[in-house]
Amino acid sequence: MIRALVITHGDLGRELVRVAEMILGPVPGLTSMSNSGKAAIDITAQIEAWLTDNPTDDQADPAGGHKKLILLDDYGGSCATSAQLACRQDPDSAIISGVNLAMLLGFVTWRDSMDFEQLVAKVVQKGREAIIQVGGR
Amino acid sequence: MPVVLARIDDRLIHGQVTVGWSEQLRPDRILLANNAIAADSWQKRVYASTVPPDIEVSILPVSKAAASLADKELAEERVLLLTGSAQEMAELVRIGVPVSEVNVGGLHFGPGKRKMLPFVYVDGQDLKAFMRLREMGLLLSAQQVPGGREYLLDDDQIQQMGEQF
Repeated sequence: MIRALVITHGDLGRELVRVAEMILGPVPGLTSMSNSGKAAIDITAQIEAWLTDNPTDDQADPAGGHKKLILLDDYGGSCATSAQLACRQDPDSAIISGVNLAMLLGFVTWRDSMDFEQLVAKVVQKGREAIIQVGGR
Repeated sequence: MPVVLARIDDRLIHGQVTVGWSEQLRPDRILLANNAIAADSWQKRVYASTVPPDIEVSILPVSKAAASLADKELAEERVLLLTGSAQEMAELVRIGVPVSEVNVGGLHFGPGKRKMLPFVYVDGQDLKAFMRLREMGLLLSAQQVPGGREYLLDDDQIQQMGEQF
């Protein structure tokens, strides 16, 4: 199973995951983390722990591999720097910034039917497509 | 180089610095003094990539950061000087970096640290470095972002906090 971690400032990530689960029901392997109150070194350590935390069902699903997707709220913050530092030695991970609800829904929809590289590209595409001027001039 | 802000922040270069303070102070350069990152070109690139394109960035070991601030060719540059710890900032001031005020922007919780302010957790070493900065005549205050609450860190507060260790 491909796992995803949403890392954000404040409670943004927790709420995004909560709302995604409100729409889709419980999503295994989708979790969130906040940088609130944490030193950069601790954020990095927590991400590293998540990267190496292989749930037992992975043995039953070797095809899904141990691929991991990190979604960030903003490029350039402590979350982004820590994610890059943590993933430096991990060949099975990808990092995307600019997380929105459409990306989480897309991740859940396609994670079992695409290979990892395709999925990452698809999530980026869905995130961009979700930004639309809806009204006003 | 005039130092427009000398900041202690264990998150180093991040949003509060590149957006918050940089929008307000418009520095020409962000100078991060950090031995470990300066020695690792990959990490240097990660941190440098988070700085907006209109701001220059230097990541140097502490000893070289002081020399770079004295460089005559860069005399006109407005610099935002950053360290990840009070100890490194005290070292820079001791070497002779010309600053009169230090901003404590964020020291987060860690093993053996106690809460001084909501965003400032310290141990005995941090407090010793605060006192060294005070003894060298610097004004010490804590503030996360422009417009945020500013807390003056005076000798009494630092000493009182020191009694907990």
